[in-house]
Amino acid sequence: MNQEATLGRGRRTLSRLTEYSWAGLAAILLVLVVIMSVVSDSFLSDFNLFVIFRSVATAVLIGAAQMTVLSIGQMNLSVGAIGGLVAITTGGIMDAFGLPVWLSIVGGLAAGAACGAFNGIIVAKTGINSFIVTIATASVFLGLNLGLTSAQPFYDLDPGFTAFGQARLAFFPLMGFITITTMIGLAVFFYRTLVGRQILAVGGNVSAAETAGIPVGRRIIWAHVISGLLAGAAGMLWASQLGAAQPMIGQSWLLISFAVPIIGGVALTGGSVRIIGLFLAALIIALINNSLVHLGVDPLYVELLLGLLILGTVWASHVATKSGTPQRTLR
Amino acid sequence: MTEQGAEMTLEATAISKAFPGVQALDGVSLSLKSGEIHALVGENGAGKSTLIKIITGLYPQDAGTLRMLGEEVEFHDPRGSIEAGIGMVPQERSLIPEFSVGENILIERMPLRGSVFVDYDTINREAAHWLEVMELDIPVTRHASRLSAAEMQLVEIVRALALESRVLLLDEPTASITPHEAAHLFEILRSLRDRGVALLLVTHKLEEVFELCDRVTVLRDGKNVASAEPLEGLTRDQLVTWMIGRSSQDTDLPARPARSEQAALEVRDIDTIDGVEGASLDVFPGEIVGFYGLVGAGRTELAHAIIGASEITGGSILVNGQEARIGSVAEALGRYRIGYVSEDRKGDGLFLAKDIIFNVSVPLWRRLAGRLGWVSDATERAIATRHVEELDVRTPSLDQLVGNLSGGNQQKVSIAKWLAAEADILIFDEPTIGIDIKTKEALHELIWELAESGKAVLLISSDMPEMVRLADRIFVMKAGRIVAEIENSRIYDEISEEIMKDLA
Repeated sequence: MNQEATLGRGRRTLSRLTEYSWAGLAAILLVLVVIMSVVSDSFLSDFNLFVIFRSVATAVLIGAAQMTVLSIGQMNLSVGAIGGLVAITTGGIMDAFGLPVWLSIVGGLAAGAACGAFNGIIVAKTGINSFIVTIATASVFLGLNLGLTSAQPFYDLDPGFTAFGQARLAFFPLMGFITITTMIGLAVFFYRTLVGRQILAVGGNVSAAETAGIPVGRRIIWAHVISGLLAGAAGMLWASQLGAAQPMIGQSWLLISFAVPIIGGVALTGGSVRIIGLFLAALIIALINNSLVHLGVDPLYVELLLGLLILGTVWASHVATKSGTPQRTLR
Repeated sequence: MTEQGAEMTLEATAISKAFPGVQALDGVSLSLKSGEIHALVGENGAGKSTLIKIITGLYPQDAGTLRMLGEEVEFHDPRGSIEAGIGMVPQERSLIPEFSVGENILIERMPLRGSVFVDYDTINREAAHWLEVMELDIPVTRHASRLSAAEMQLVEIVRALALESRVLLLDEPTASITPHEAAHLFEILRSLRDRGVALLLVTHKLEEVFELCDRVTVLRDGKNVASAEPLEGLTRDQLVTWMIGRSSQDTDLPARPARSEQAALEVRDIDTIDGVEGASLDVFPGEIVGFYGLVGAGRTELAHAIIGASEITGGSILVNGQEARIGSVAEALGRYRIGYVSEDRKGDGLFLAKDIIFNVSVPLWRRLAGRLGWVSDATERAIATRHVEELDVRTPSLDQLVGNLSGGNQQKVSIAKWLAAEADILIFDEPTIGIDIKTKEALHELIWELAESGKAVLLISSDMPEMVRLADRIFVMKAGRIVAEIENSRIYDEISEEIMKDLA
């Protein structure tokens, strides 16, 4: 073991440093902030910061919904479809049935959990790859959404509910508190609770988890249910922000849902979650998006540039975390 | 943990299990007493793993019964087996990489607060206690992904101990640890035995069986050949005869012609990014050069550097006297004809989900490809057939998926691949690890014949008898440096003593 120690020491010190991958993200973020505050006068205005932080609030939840499923080494391509279905469920309960806000929220979350359970049960019981399962259920959820609403938004929402989406303390959006609370809860879940640890164990090494007596199937279902709840929470915040429960909510989330956790340092192979990384990644993406607007980029090209910049950021964070370790293709 | 009397702790009676096309177990029995170390041996494919999987609740048996302390038990999943008091140290890595050592040790029964929250204080305290019992100096809070292979293996054993199991199953526990660590492990296993635990040791190393075990059960072709025979008075020959159905013939390998003048491969003062420092060695055509060292000494790292798979930071490599700049594995093979038979057959060496033809011809594609990159099936098949026959791969057909072959035959396919690619310099990295006696013998002869036919062979091995048997010269590596070059006299005691002295 001495030999091993001598040989590995240099490698270990380096990887210790790169373990805190969010240090690199924070640097990227700082550079973006400095550039933008020099280039644009209105960038640091309260209202602009509010807009940025509000989009961070939803992007973190969307990313967390994906991260939870990535943590078991799977994917959830129906995050957006669940967000949309939850948004119209919540809106529908308020508008069509006139029930109170809290009941609508409970109903919405129940719908999100049900969608997640649907995904999880199919994946766990059939063993079919989550990629194809969730791409199909995304279509199911969207179809249900459009069928129920006839593609018409619910506009008659509770005034408190819609006001919440616009409310801010100086530059800080109130919906940010929902995100922060949720993410603290998620961190506690993954780092401190038995079920959370077992989910990560399944993602880290499924056969080891099985021989350790962990109920693998049930943990897969749990991960999908939590993903559904988080996607649902994002859908409701989105509706609150728009002031209407739009059926098309969630249709633009796919890229964000993967970019946030991947830039944030979550491994696609499973077994890891990154809470601070999600916030930093969502901030970087929101800043890029906001910068394009401030720099007067033709809106028709925003999508193109956003895609390229996210690709660049993923590459940069990949390099930042990998540079310390020797290049090795063979193990 | 201390059951009185010599009643059977675990008793498996007349266990049968069939898989499509194979009767894996046919009326097999195994009985473990409290306070014994019991060896379970047999060739690859004899049914050892299947039996273990039934005992640990991974497979249901088709027929037969399991009893714990005289009572019939039925396991539907691993949890049932763990709760009945059966601990398992599997052969494959089974730690959760992102978890701490402590959490890995207590994963089967995480201490909780309020039945929801994981109690890390208790985890760290209990895990530290078990590490101390094992006299291991590994911090409980270290991530499992940062452990060495040997440390991982030891943590897995600590984990099984922490269950305070009545029965402890160990599947090849010394496969990736050093002799020193193994000696330490044996001490712990003996003390567990003295405390009344029933231990089952699955191993290919007969030395371990005789050194450590009290009784032995032998399986061959899914049947009991010997059941709980006392090892006292048993000879090695008898045991081998049970295992392979005939007595072992360590055939004498024929003498080989003297080596030629020009070294096929010369490594001069190589430093690598992953810890090799100032390593020099040379291999001549027609020669087998051994490369001995403990796990983690840097042998595989040096091999990877030679084939262009990892970065070299200093020194030079000469192939046939010419300086070689090997930038990639493709170049190593295509330009310098260096082939590497990986230690990690499943990870690096083979495409398990593909057939034999595919596996053998992968490195050939570039050469075989005609215009437009077209590779003809017939050419592929012809070349694969020749080499597969040459190496005597046991397979019903060339279309067989490599994943379905036994370990030894998989190894032959990965060698066939490099022969087909006409490699002149062959690097074998632990070629017989986890391979049974019969196939091992065949592989030894094969490696010998390859050298005889003029190939330059670099043999990396931690198996001392193998090294002494095959190598002409032996380089010894320690902590990233080559510390000795020994002319092999083929006298085991002399050479092993010298190597051990160099490693000390």
